[in-house]
Amino acid sequence: MKISVKSFTRPRGYVPLIGLIFLLILPLFLPTYFLHIMITMLFFAFVGEAWNIVGGYAGQLSLGNAAFFGLGAYGAVLFTHYYNISPWVGGVLIGGAAAIVLSVMTGLACFRLRGPYFAISTLAIGEVMRLVFLNQRKFTFGAEGVTVPYKGNSLLYLQFVSKAPYYYIALALMLLGMYVTWKIEKSRLGHYLVAINQNQDAAEAVGVNSMRTKQIALSVSAFLTAMGGTFYAQYIYFIDPNFVFGLGLSIEFALIAIVGGVGTVMGPVIGSFLLRPAMEFTNAFLGATYTGVHLIAYGGLLIAVVMLKPEGLMGWLGGLYEWFLKWLPGKEK
Amino acid sequence: MLLEVQNLNKKFGGLQAVNGLAFGAEEGEILGLIGPNGAGKTTVFNLISGVYTPDSGVIRFQGKNITGLKSYQICIKGICRTFQIAQPFREMTVVKNVITGAFSRTADVEEAKRKAEEVLNFVGLGGKKEILAKELTAIDQRRLEVARALATDPRLLLLDETMAGLNPKECDEAVSLINKIRDKGITVIMVEHVVKVIMSLSQRIIVLDYGTKIAEGKAEEIRSNENVIKAYLGEEYRRAIRQ
Repeated sequence: MKISVKSFTRPRGYVPLIGLIFLLILPLFLPTYFLHIMITMLFFAFVGEAWNIVGGYAGQLSLGNAAFFGLGAYGAVLFTHYYNISPWVGGVLIGGAAAIVLSVMTGLACFRLRGPYFAISTLAIGEVMRLVFLNQRKFTFGAEGVTVPYKGNSLLYLQFVSKAPYYYIALALMLLGMYVTWKIEKSRLGHYLVAINQNQDAAEAVGVNSMRTKQIALSVSAFLTAMGGTFYAQYIYFIDPNFVFGLGLSIEFALIAIVGGVGTVMGPVIGSFLLRPAMEFTNAFLGATYTGVHLIAYGGLLIAVVMLKPEGLMGWLGGLYEWFLKWLPGKEK
Repeated sequence: MLLEVQNLNKKFGGLQAVNGLAFGAEEGEILGLIGPNGAGKTTVFNLISGVYTPDSGVIRFQGKNITGLKSYQICIKGICRTFQIAQPFREMTVVKNVITGAFSRTADVEEAKRKAEEVLNFVGLGGKKEILAKELTAIDQRRLEVARALATDPRLLLLDETMAGLNPKECDEAVSLINKIRDKGITVIMVEHVVKVIMSLSQRIIVLDYGTKIAEGKAEEIRSNENVIKAYLGEEYRRAIRQ
């Protein structure tokens, strides 16, 4: 795809550009609380994209992605804590490498299984990691969790006093996730993932090494998810095994992609932009009055989406978007 | 000899599905594989294409031992098969199905697409490129299956009951397609129940029964072979050809 000035005179070019500019200037006038919600939306869109590569395109329903997330988070915090090493190294590089190693072990063990059996086995991987970090107290501080050592405003230590820098990093992560996904979708790898998803035996018969292909997808997903873990730790300043390695988080990654539309570039973005605000606002309005009611409301929303649009919101919203583009000035090719 | 099978055995529980089978395929021929239901024809295909690993025996392709290789490795070596029940990627368009096959020879998307379009025109699906595979008729799904296999540039093509359920006109089209494939220099081994078709297409026929070879030879020889008539063709067939 060639990008020139001309491509931005068409709706298909300028609508995303306006959207991006809007996202870029948003922190200038958004109150802190809403900025926080935006950050979680962008961030969960990113980890949803990461999950989508293996869970959506390849159709391998991983319920263990929190294992990779936790490695990125703990890598960032513990290396800063013990050795004063930057989270870019401790979290993104070392944590990311550990996540890739774990993803290879996961792949060797779990990709022999198909369908629900694969999902259950990845769930076990996440739980094993959670228990390891819970019980190796001397090194990980166990259930107490760890606080990020405070360093003040520092890009090197990925810490900022205000929310705006986190916002831009989260935005960059989401765009990175979308770009990687788009690149994969256009390549042989993406093609093979979809083929395996639809019929693994037929794919093998025409020369697809399904084990290796799924492994690459899982490793890419693991590395990106670990990056998400690093960002989360540096943003929240505190991590504990029950959350960052928790099953709840693994399910959240999957839900975001499933609600938005699996196997599409925009799906996790749509899922996150619907579910995160829903979670935050129901919690803000209902959380204090009746404990748990916000979870009922959130659950109700999930049920509604899955019943009305079982293939995700992407197909429906995509159609709406195409219709919307027709009304805008400027000619499509 | 392009393909050489020696003393091939495969057992499923107590059932000896393939029993000491030996045969070969010459470069450029169309070899027919016939026999009653359960004779082990599809199992032989599954063994050659790497879906199953044989209990014992050797399979050689272009002089190299390929026994026990995985199916994707065997495809890369140059053997591709179609399935008895068509197995398209249902939610993909026709052209994308075939591109998947073409990717076995190139990682370049444009080149794979060119190859896919060429193959689709060859099998007569050129006009249905953008239709989802699941929306094709049964015969077009078979065509697609063949196209996807051809896109992998095979030296040897294994066709598993490509003509089951086709009407006579469709059968004739399929026959001319298989002849065209052979004319491209691709060796074909076909399992088929439509005896008339296999007799007219194949230079050589192998008859299986209970996992063993009970006869081998030219169509005329097979037609009058006592064992074959008893096990497969039946007395009515004998009466029919006498008239």
